[in-house]
Amino acid sequence: MKISKAIFYLIILISFLLQTACNQAVQNDRNVEKNISVTDFRGKEINLSKPATRIVCLIESALSGLYMLNAENRIMGIPSAVYNESAAAQYAVLDQRISDKKLSSPGNWDFLSMEKLVALQPDLVIIWASQQESIEAIEEKGIPVYGVFLRSFDDIYKEIDDLGKLTETSPRADSIIGFTKHEVAGINLKLPAKKQKSVYFMWSQGLLETSGTSSTANELIELAGAKNACQEPQEHIVINLENLLQWNPDVIVMWNQYPKNPDDILNMAELQNVNAVMHNNVYELPPVFWCDLWTLKFQFAAKHLVNYCAADNSEKFNLDLEKEKMIFALYGEKGEELIK
Amino acid sequence: MNKRLLIILLYILPIPALLVSLFIGPSDAASGGEIFKSVFGFLSGESASGNNPELLNAVVFDVRLPRILLTFLTGSALAVSGCSIQAIFRNPLTDPYILGLSSGAAFGAALAMALVFIPVQLSAFVFGLLAVGLSYFVARKNGNVSVISLILSGIIVSGIFTALLTVVQYFSDPFKLQSIVHWTMGNLHNAGWKKLQSSFIPILAGILIMFIYRWRMNVLALGDDEARTSGINPEKDKLLILLAATLASSSAVAVAGIIGLYGLIIPHIVRMMIGPDNQQSIPLNFVFGGTFLLMIDNLSRTVSGFEIPIGVFTMLLGAPFFIYLIKKTNIGWEQ
Repeated sequence: MKISKAIFYLIILISFLLQTACNQAVQNDRNVEKNISVTDFRGKEINLSKPATRIVCLIESALSGLYMLNAENRIMGIPSAVYNESAAAQYAVLDQRISDKKLSSPGNWDFLSMEKLVALQPDLVIIWASQQESIEAIEEKGIPVYGVFLRSFDDIYKEIDDLGKLTETSPRADSIIGFTKHEVAGINLKLPAKKQKSVYFMWSQGLLETSGTSSTANELIELAGAKNACQEPQEHIVINLENLLQWNPDVIVMWNQYPKNPDDILNMAELQNVNAVMHNNVYELPPVFWCDLWTLKFQFAAKHLVNYCAADNSEKFNLDLEKEKMIFALYGEKGEELIK
Repeated sequence: MNKRLLIILLYILPIPALLVSLFIGPSDAASGGEIFKSVFGFLSGESASGNNPELLNAVVFDVRLPRILLTFLTGSALAVSGCSIQAIFRNPLTDPYILGLSSGAAFGAALAMALVFIPVQLSAFVFGLLAVGLSYFVARKNGNVSVISLILSGIIVSGIFTALLTVVQYFSDPFKLQSIVHWTMGNLHNAGWKKLQSSFIPILAGILIMFIYRWRMNVLALGDDEARTSGINPEKDKLLILLAATLASSSAVAVAGIIGLYGLIIPHIVRMMIGPDNQQSIPLNFVFGGTFLLMIDNLSRTVSGFEIPIGVFTMLLGAPFFIYLIKKTNIGWEQ
């Protein structure tokens, strides 16, 4: 037989073998007893036969939620960013395994090592709902995936409530949600439109990166009794400097963006006619661990905003006390070490 | 080295490469020792061996094997398509992306990621095909398609889709933006049986057509007039080969993301090793293209604790090897 014919038949044979292998491998959908059932942010029902005990959490904010729920013993994998980012020191306090760098990290939410993830034998993976391809690949291996997509503070409550159900820590979830709602009720300022200050929220990517009206940043600003300078509908938006000059915000709030600080903004020649710069109202929120807008700690960021926007520059909240109260309520015993 | 021996070696190379790749991975759960223990246990009749046979099976057969097969097919598809396109265009600087395939696919994938409800793979495949189709019809004039106008229209269509991709990136939030950028660097880390199942038929079908038409590529490489003299309809054959190359490479790009310049470099490497005869170089691009990408992927998934995009390694390793071959041999196009 000629080599060309041999190769032709070989390709046909490979096709047949691949089809057989794929068919066998793909038919691994498991029938799960529906003892625990929640609907994630994709609208997909997640069914577990028993509470999750081996969780790989690839979202830093959800990881924070798991520690608040005292479910740290169920965490088997974390995002690699936790080891590198500014919050590493706080997580090292919360979990000795992170301090010893012994808690596995199969990657971040987007670039993950599927092999490392499977080797952790998780019974639940928490990942951003927008990571379609990764979710498909994980679910194909029979591992349940809880997809997260946060657009509002109500979404954060839902996430914590769901995680409570999935980890059998619902009473704790109810407790910390209740605490947060109580604190939020104490903040919620309803000021007449005329008295509302306009706030420009500046993300860490740079001066011109902000959030529009369908965002947690917008909700935060409104919670503090102010109005968002950016009234565009987008969640994230890169604006033109002319927009910023035209909006002329009363306050500029910077997301924590070391090594930049408010002085950098105050010294920008092109911003010298902006109200916020003229009146020295440029502030930087504390590091992300203390006021992450995608966790129940958003309340602390809101309290900062209330102080930033106070009409007479008087501080409505004693932020040190508020921080202690929140950390003790959300992290329990470990709170004291965290505060130190 | 003796050319015949080299060709035999190249044909045999995929077998050890595929087997060795099964033993390579970042997890200790399926180390070489564990796999040997498991295989030995199986051969000696023991039902289960090793520390955790279920985990071993999951890692080897659900994670590594589909990824290895998909990587091999992706490398083969890009190399064979690149070789065919260089042959029919009689231009050594072309590759499967020249007609806007990568830009179209990247835009399709980005659109799907931004809008969530469209499957990424399907969208990348459709827009990849759309870009190539658009390039072809823009270049078509009075029923004829000249090579120059086809390449130029490819550059224009590619530019349009790159601009559209930028628009999608501009309006995406940072998380989606990061995913889009990562997809364009190569996306084999999400490989699985479903992806393999959805892609291997079009990839192999495209490769099979190019394989059948490989001797005609030699005739087409002589020029259209010479091809007609030999009784070949060059327009029809070029279109068919182009369709086959697009089918194979767009299916590969849809599942693996964009692996830059692979379809340009590998055909040249093969040509430098065995000469310009497409009868030989098409099947050798299949085996060498697959094997080389497999070896690069082995590096990308083991060199650090987390995944490094394969597109980075194809350039970092492929380019020096390519430069070495340029220095050692001649480019092989004029032979």
